[in-house]
Amino acid sequence: MRMITALLMGTALTILPSSLFAQEKGGVINVATIGEPPTLDPMASTADLVGIVTQHIFETLYTFDKGWKVTPLLAEALPEISADGKTYTIKLRTGIKFHDNTDMNSEDVVASLNRWTKLASRGKQVAGFIDSITATDPSTVTITLKQPYAPLTSLLAFNNSAAIILPAEKQAEPMTDFIGTGPYMLKERKADQYIQLTRFDGYKSREGAGDGYGGGRHQYLDEIRFVPVPDPNTRVEAAVSGQYDYIDSIPVESYARLQGSSSSEPVMLKPFGYPISVFNTAEGSAKNVEIRRAIRQALNMEDMMAAAFGSTDFYALDGNIYPASFVWSTDAGVAGNYNVADPEAAGAAAKAAGYKGEPIRILTSRQYEFHYKMAQVAAEYLKLAGFTVDLQVVDWATLTQRRADKGLWDIYITHSPFLPEPALIGTLSTSSPGWWDTPERDASVDAFTAEVDPEKRVALWANVQKAIYDDVAFIKIGDFNAVAAKSKKLQGVDPAPWPYFWNASIAK
Amino acid sequence: MIRYILQRLFGMIVVMFLVLTIVFVILRVTPGDPAAVMLGPDATAQDIAELRSRLGLDQSLGVQYVYYIGQVLRGDLGQSIFLNIPVTSALLDRAEPTFFLTLFSLVIASVIALPVGIYAAYRRGSFVDQAATTLAMLAASIPSFWLGLILMQFFAVRLNLFPVSGYGGPGSTFLDRMYHLTLPAVALGVVSSALILRFTRASMLDVLGEDYIRTARSKGVIERRVVLKHAFKNALIPILTVLGLTAAVLVSGAVVTETVFGLPGVGNLVVSAVLRRDYPVIQGALLVIAALYVLINFAIDMLYLAVDPRVRY
Repeated sequence: MRMITALLMGTALTILPSSLFAQEKGGVINVATIGEPPTLDPMASTADLVGIVTQHIFETLYTFDKGWKVTPLLAEALPEISADGKTYTIKLRTGIKFHDNTDMNSEDVVASLNRWTKLASRGKQVAGFIDSITATDPSTVTITLKQPYAPLTSLLAFNNSAAIILPAEKQAEPMTDFIGTGPYMLKERKADQYIQLTRFDGYKSREGAGDGYGGGRHQYLDEIRFVPVPDPNTRVEAAVSGQYDYIDSIPVESYARLQGSSSSEPVMLKPFGYPISVFNTAEGSAKNVEIRRAIRQALNMEDMMAAAFGSTDFYALDGNIYPASFVWSTDAGVAGNYNVADPEAAGAAAKAAGYKGEPIRILTSRQYEFHYKMAQVAAEYLKLAGFTVDLQVVDWATLTQRRADKGLWDIYITHSPFLPEPALIGTLSTSSPGWWDTPERDASVDAFTAEVDPEKRVALWANVQKAIYDDVAFIKIGDFNAVAAKSKKLQGVDPAPWPYFWNASIAK
Repeated sequence: MIRYILQRLFGMIVVMFLVLTIVFVILRVTPGDPAAVMLGPDATAQDIAELRSRLGLDQSLGVQYVYYIGQVLRGDLGQSIFLNIPVTSALLDRAEPTFFLTLFSLVIASVIALPVGIYAAYRRGSFVDQAATTLAMLAASIPSFWLGLILMQFFAVRLNLFPVSGYGGPGSTFLDRMYHLTLPAVALGVVSSALILRFTRASMLDVLGEDYIRTARSKGVIERRVVLKHAFKNALIPILTVLGLTAAVLVSGAVVTETVFGLPGVGNLVVSAVLRRDYPVIQGALLVIAALYVLINFAIDMLYLAVDPRVRY
C-alpha cells in the first residue's frame, strides 16, 4: 500500500510542476532597499545599491551566470579574442530596442564604451590598455588593446561602474535621460520615497531559462518599486508584517524572528563576502612589513567574526580569499598566517621590527556595525600584544575621505562581496587606499591580468594570493553570509549579491 | 508697529546671513567628501579629484562662499549633488509629509495637553492632577522614535492596521498618504504633549490665583466660564509660546522619527544629505528651517496682540 501511495505521489509531482508552479504574468512588487541610491547612472558609481536598481533599466554586453562565468547579454556570444589576446571582436544581438523604441547598433555601443572609459572607475581601469574601440559594421564592435588584458570581459559584465549601453545621442554627463535596453524602464523617481520601474514591452529576452544574471529575462511583473527604508530595525519589522515583497539587507540577529513570520521568509546568501583590514603600506607604522606581520599574528579572526556576526550560521573562518565554491579558491600563503591569535609572540615580533609604541590608527565606521565590532576586538588583541591603539570611529563619508590621505591612518576596515573576477578587487590596484606597490605585487598581478587562458589564470591567482599574504597588503578576516527577506508569495528570486527581479513573479 | 515689523525683518535677514555663513563654514571644515560618497567604495583618488573639480569643490573656501552668497541672493539655493535637481524642488517635494506630520502631531498634542492641563490645574493636588503630571513626566522622558517603534510593533506588525514605513507608492491618494502618517504623528504628538501639558497647567495655576478670577467667582459667573474664558484666555500667552516652539521643532524635521518610519520629509532629507555630504541640500534646508523658526516666532508675537490687548509693540 505504501509503495502504491509513494508511486502515486511521485507521479503526481512529476506531472504537477508545469501547471501548479508555472509563473504568471502581472503584479507589482515593493522592494525595500537600504536607502536612496546616490545616482541612477551605473557608470558613475561603484555603490552596490546603484547596481541593484539600475541593472533592471540598463544592460551590459556581458553578464555573469549562476556559476559566475561571463555570459553574453547584449552581445550575441562571448567575444572572439585574437591569438595575441589584443583584439576582441564582439558580435551584437540584433532587434534590441532602447526604451525610446530606437534600435541599438554598434554606434551606440562604441559611444557608450567611450563614455565608460572616461567616466566609470572600472572603465578608467581598462582605458590605459585600450588602443581603439570601433564599429566594424552595424552589429559588430572591435576593441583593440595595446597589450593583453584578461579581465576585460569581466569588467564589461559588471553591474556597477558598469559598461551599460545607452543610445549614442544620449551620452550626457550627468545622465539626464535614463534610457536603457533593460526589461524594466524608469517611470518615476521620487527621491527617498520610491523608484518606480515598469515593464518594457519592446524588450527582447535571450532564449531559455534564467541563469544567474544571464539567460532569459521573462518580465513576469508589471512593476517593480524600490522603496528606501534606511533603518535596519524598520526593515525587519516591515518584513515581519509583510509590507514589502523583498527586503534587502536584514541584520543577521533577526533571522530567527523572520522564520516565525507568517508572511515573509529569510533568504540567506551563503557566503556573501569577506571583511578585510587594509594596511597603509605607504606611510606610518604599518609601512614596515614586519609590523604588519606582527599585527596579523596578534589577531584572533574567530573572535572578530563571532563579535561581528554572532553565530557560525552566518560566518565561516576561511583564510583563502575565495571560498571553496569559487574556482579561484586556493590556500596559497594561508598556512601559519591566518587566525594565529598569538599576541605574546606578536608583541615580541613588533619590538624586533622596531616598533616603539607609536599609535596604530584604526579607521572604522558604524555605518556597517560589523566593521565596528571587528575593529573593537582587533584593538583589544593589539593592546594585548603591546601595541598602542587609536581606534577612530567616524561616519562612512569621513572614512572614505580620510583613507585617501596617506598621513591619517594605518588600518581601515572594509568588506567586499566575492567578485567573480579577482582582478576587480580594488585593493590590488596600486592607487587604491593602502597603496600596495611591491615588486612581488607587480610580478604576480601583472602576470595574472595579462594571461587569457582560464586554467593558467587560476594558477596565477594563487601567486597573487601568496603575494597578498607575504606582503600583508590586507588581512582577510573570514567569510560572512548576507540575509534578506522575501514574501512567501514571491517566486523566482534566487539569493544574489545584487538581487534582481526580472524573473520574479507573485503566486496567486 | 510698522517700525517693530521692520526691525524684526532686519533681524531676520541678519539671522539668515549668520546661519548661512556658519553652516557653510562648519560643512567645509567637517571631514567627508561628497565626491567620494557618490563614486562608491572602489573609486580611485584620481576619480574623486576629477569629480571634486567638476563640482567646484576644488576652489578655495572664499571663492566657494562668494559664489554661494551670490546664488542665494538671486534666490537660487543651488543644485543637489546627488539628486541632480534644484534644492528648492527637493525641499518642496519634502514639504507635504513634514507639514502634515507637524500639523497632526500638534493637533494630537493639543487635544491631549490642553484639556488635561486645564483640568489638572483646576483640580490641583487631585488624583487626576498627580496622574497627569506623572504621565507628562513619563512622556517627556520617552524618545519619540522609541514610542514610534513600540506603536509600530503593536499596531503595524501585530495588528497589521497601519503600514510600518513609507509614504504611499505611485498614484497614492492624499488619504492614503495621511494614513501613513498616523503612527509617527501619534508618537510625536504624545511626546510633544508633555511639555504643552506642563506649561498649560503651570500657566493656569498662576492665573487661577489672580484677583480677577476671585472677582468673577464672587460675581456669580459660572465655573466653566471662569475657567475657560477668564482664566484660560489669560493663560494663553505662555501656551502659545510653547506651541509655537513645538511647531518649529517639528517642522524642522522630526529627524529620527521620519527616518524610523521611512517618511520622505525634510528631516529625512537633511539626514541623508548629511550622510552623503550633499552640501547644497544641507545649506538650503538649514536656511529654510532657520527662516521658518524666525517666521513662526514672529507669527507668535503677532498672535500675542490678538490674545492680549495689553501687548503693544
